[in-house]
Amino acid sequence: MITQQPAERRALIGEYVLGLLDEAEAAEVHELIEHDAEAAQMALQWQQHFLELSDQLPPQTPSAQLWQRLQNSLGLTPAVSRVNSWLAWWQSLTTWRLTSAALAFALIIAVLPDLWRTDTAANSYTVVLQAPGEAAKPGWVVHVDGSGSLRLQPLLEDQIPTDRSVQFWTLIDPAIGPRSLGLVEPGKPLQLSAEQIGAVQPGQLFELTLEPAGGSPKDRPTGKVLYIGRAVMASIN
Amino acid sequence: MAQPLFDYESHLEACARQDDRAFQALYQQEAAQMLGLAITLLGRRDQAEDCVHDAFVQIWRNAQRFQRALGSGRAWIYSILRYRALNQLRSRGRTVELDDDFIERAADDSPQAAELLEQQGEHRELRRCLQNIERNRRHPILLAFYRGLTHEQIANRLTTPLGTIKGRIRAGLRALQECLHA
Repeated sequence: MITQQPAERRALIGEYVLGLLDEAEAAEVHELIEHDAEAAQMALQWQQHFLELSDQLPPQTPSAQLWQRLQNSLGLTPAVSRVNSWLAWWQSLTTWRLTSAALAFALIIAVLPDLWRTDTAANSYTVVLQAPGEAAKPGWVVHVDGSGSLRLQPLLEDQIPTDRSVQFWTLIDPAIGPRSLGLVEPGKPLQLSAEQIGAVQPGQLFELTLEPAGGSPKDRPTGKVLYIGRAVMASIN
Repeated sequence: MAQPLFDYESHLEACARQDDRAFQALYQQEAAQMLGLAITLLGRRDQAEDCVHDAFVQIWRNAQRFQRALGSGRAWIYSILRYRALNQLRSRGRTVELDDDFIERAADDSPQAAELLEQQGEHRELRRCLQNIERNRRHPILLAFYRGLTHEQIANRLTTPLGTIKGRIRAGLRALQECLHA
């Protein structure tokens, strides 16, 4: 039974962090930390204080093999890591997971750009961009007309912190990763030409993310996904 | 060594988004210091490297569980490392005979030791508080921290009854928390 008395509880958690407790006691405290935010905070506070003792020790450079081993264990080998992380990035947005069929389709299209362009020049698309996991909360809508030009239209005006920008992205080929389509002013429409966006494909993903002011410092999203959606064919002319 | 400019929290959050470059940066930042602690706890470099490997695997896989509202990112990383190291120690039943001289020195409460501490860096809140508690409470806490010993193992090492050791450690931690949260 874990004491309710705060100072005793904090000391007990300190003993847990040090690893002093026997198995049964440790299991009890572990359980508490898993479910009680205050207990979890106490554990991290102890750990933070004890860092002073760790930092007294001289650092020991790991062998070069350690990083390679770690990459192997996690499937982060350099050549494929980028693709994996792109895939993970998009697939982590579970509501918008690409089906393997759509993915295969997108990849086939990617190697046949000219053929596709001829065939689909007259297609128009709509994308409803919604907050991740909230299907009933559209924030923006994208129209791609028969000439291939894109219009991003706001449905509401978000309040964005002054030190942040909203960035517009699309994902055509997961192997290449998301492509920036530029910054967006909350509440303001954006118009892009067919040349700027390229051919749009059914199922193509679009998203808006919250980035540092001026846009992501990297060539991919780094911040929270605000809205996401994929292209559906609006009409075939 | 902790660098105040390194943003552990943001790097962990990037790891949660499967950003392998953030993961690599975190590794470059912290692996050597983590290995230093793992070697001290485990006594063997090969096992310590295993431990750091396993800790980073856990960090990558569990990064989405990190919440900055609960505490510092660096503390979170070391919670994982320590947990792995203690499990390794327990599963092999311990104990390698290690030279505990440096712990003796750390437990030292001579005026020179206090003076040395004064001359060292900024982040010495815990060590200052440790110096304020009695040696017989400080020493078992340091043995637990640096060697991962259990109550019973400390009692054996210091040839002191188990109940006495438990009482001293509890009293020592209570005194520490009062000093740290004063």
